[in-house]
Amino acid sequence: MRSSKRNRFYFFLSLILLILVLSLLADYIMPFGPYDQNLSMALRPPDSVHWLGTDRYGRDMLSRTLSGARTTVCTALAVALAASSFGAFIGLICGYHKGKATTLLLRLTDVFLAFPSMVFAIAVAGILGGGTFNAAAAIAAVAWPKYTRLVRNQVLPLHHEYYIEAARMSGFSPLKILLVQILPEIIGPVLITAALDIGTIITEIAGLSFLGLGAAPPAAEWGSMMSGARNLLQTAPWTIFVPGAAIFITVAIFQLFADSLRDLADSKTPR
Amino acid sequence: MNNKFKYLLTALLGAALLVSGCGSDAGKTAKEEGKVFHYGTMAYGPAMQNASTDPHDTYCGWSTIRYGVGETLFKFDNEMNVQPWLAESYEQIDDHTLKIKLRDDITFSNGKQVTGDAVKACLEDLIRRNDRAPHDLKINQITADGQTVTIHSSEKVPALIHYLADPYSAIIDMEAGIKDRIAVGTGPYVAVKVTDQGMELKKNDQYWGQTKPKLDKIVVRSITDGDSLSMAMQSGELDAVQGLPYASLPNFQDTGRYTISSTATSRVYQAAMNFQTPALQDNRVRKAIAMALDKDTFVNVLLNGNGVAATGAFPNTMPYGRGLNGPGYDPEQAKTLLKEAGYTGTNSDGYVTKDGQPLTLRWLTYTSRQELPLLAEYAQSALKDIGIKLDVNATDNYKDFLKRGEYDIYAQAIVTAPTGDPEYYLMSKIYSGQPYNNGNYSNPRTDAMIDELHNTFDAGKRIELARQIQQQVLDDNAVWYASFLKMNIVMKKNVTGFSAHPCDYYEITPELDIQ
Repeated sequence: MRSSKRNRFYFFLSLILLILVLSLLADYIMPFGPYDQNLSMALRPPDSVHWLGTDRYGRDMLSRTLSGARTTVCTALAVALAASSFGAFIGLICGYHKGKATTLLLRLTDVFLAFPSMVFAIAVAGILGGGTFNAAAAIAAVAWPKYTRLVRNQVLPLHHEYYIEAARMSGFSPLKILLVQILPEIIGPVLITAALDIGTIITEIAGLSFLGLGAAPPAAEWGSMMSGARNLLQTAPWTIFVPGAAIFITVAIFQLFADSLRDLADSKTPR
Repeated sequence: MNNKFKYLLTALLGAALLVSGCGSDAGKTAKEEGKVFHYGTMAYGPAMQNASTDPHDTYCGWSTIRYGVGETLFKFDNEMNVQPWLAESYEQIDDHTLKIKLRDDITFSNGKQVTGDAVKACLEDLIRRNDRAPHDLKINQITADGQTVTIHSSEKVPALIHYLADPYSAIIDMEAGIKDRIAVGTGPYVAVKVTDQGMELKKNDQYWGQTKPKLDKIVVRSITDGDSLSMAMQSGELDAVQGLPYASLPNFQDTGRYTISSTATSRVYQAAMNFQTPALQDNRVRKAIAMALDKDTFVNVLLNGNGVAATGAFPNTMPYGRGLNGPGYDPEQAKTLLKEAGYTGTNSDGYVTKDGQPLTLRWLTYTSRQELPLLAEYAQSALKDIGIKLDVNATDNYKDFLKRGEYDIYAQAIVTAPTGDPEYYLMSKIYSGQPYNNGNYSNPRTDAMIDELHNTFDAGKRIELARQIQQQVLDDNAVWYASFLKMNIVMKKNVTGFSAHPCDYYEITPELDIQ
């Protein structure tokens, strides 16, 4: 049982590494420039030259999708990293130190958690204005509170463990206790949650761009590519299916990877 | 639940979703309502300020005319020349007086005769309530006598009969008043129910014209999403649609099932150069921009051929749109012009520089006209080829940017001859210091010719002047004209007597029929 779980994990890990390599090396493997218009080649269906067809400006869909992978995947990873570390840090403090300030912080996370996240992200992105960075900031601003909750709930029971007491009596500073004694104990669930979150973040980034609140044309970004090709759905379906499939496949891989990671972690620590 | 069952259920659900997505027109039975015509349009609704048949309210006159409820004293033929409609003839008594003789066989849909007094009451209500009409018509006094109406203007209005063909001048019965957005007009159809989502019309049994209306009922539905409109037409729910996005038109190429009627309108896609921008004060730079953009490719590829490349502000279906010369597409010549203008360097990104500064311009446009973002993205790429960096700002807050002057090129879509007369456009968009002259273009020669146009009654002279003014604008490269919108109406094969008209507001006529 263990080994099949491990195989599954390595399988999806290798797929993720493949996506990362493809997106990082996009500039070198793209057959065409993602922004090079060639109107005489507009709206060509997939063929031997343009493997995934061209869009209405005659730009190569494969090149644009690869170039979009970097925008989307790297942004999603950065958002997941930023939101989880920030949320976890606040969670550590809230779990370890009880006081009016931390209670206030916790109530704040409740407010954030009470909103449907996409609606909140749309509001934030709307206020900040368009752009990939602003969209990422909006999603990060919505994603962090669940880490705070998660970490705080993990930290609370550790509070009166003997080894924490011992560390405290040895004169360790609270920061050192948090980072050296507590963090390694609770990092597992945070990583799994973050991994599970990446898929959601990718759809949210694409969603905001689709709505015109993220990457703006002519940027090669999956959501914005789908939005631009919306009215070609019936006449040139590849222009919308290609970025759509890219989102679907990437999100599925990240989700299955996170699943396998969780399964592996569960089997390591039987309850 | 075992796994097999789960998979089966999922498969069934998926199949159900697929099937429900593919609606069909089979199984629809026409009720005994006689001939019913279902019409879908993108051009109706509160956002367009035309969700009523009261012609005196903002742009609602467009709906009054479009859907056959009302008619005007004069109308435009296919070349946008003015012809009498409810009027029989007119006479320009002097510079300030116009005498109109009405036909004596016309009745409103309630049976009342259209008399001079009725027209006078209607026009007086128009200038009292409409925001544009008083400024256009400049009416001082109206007198009525039997079937004649005499209009005394406060100043010279050479285009007066054109304005009397504007939809706001639709003649309605003021005594009957306007109830629930329903006005009583003289048209072939009578409004029964008018809402924000559309309207229902029935046949006007007392219609005065030679051709009697043939349909018993017309349902007009506002569908403002292009894809929904296209799908409603494909599923057979609608008999005809107006304003489909170009990208959807290939769905209706099957000539055995559909007819497409299209015509060039005077809605032009234009880009005004901002003369406040130092770089654009050099005519060579403006000319280089004009020469770098290929109108034919824009029209043929990005608009799928659903447009007409423009030279000046008016389409060549109109007499004053012919005989103009603008700079043609020639990117090599454009590069030479930039060099002559002092842009001799090139930076690492490939953009031309002058004194080390790259040539970067801000292209302002908006997205509610779907062709404008396409044009912007095309221009960005085409200007990059000659070394100009274009920062596109496609926003629906464009009015704020216009107000603050934060743009170098402003691209917009505008109807240049809504009343078949060139003066309106030239006066508001070209004349020095006018609020809608977004390029801040100012040339005393052009202004003098526009002044002359304003004081000229002779039709031939007006055409010649309008041409000369446009040629001057083109020589100055003040505005780059991309293309004219081709308006299309897609209808089922069995629909007859329906065609697109260049002025965009003649749609439902007595000729319309379903075979």
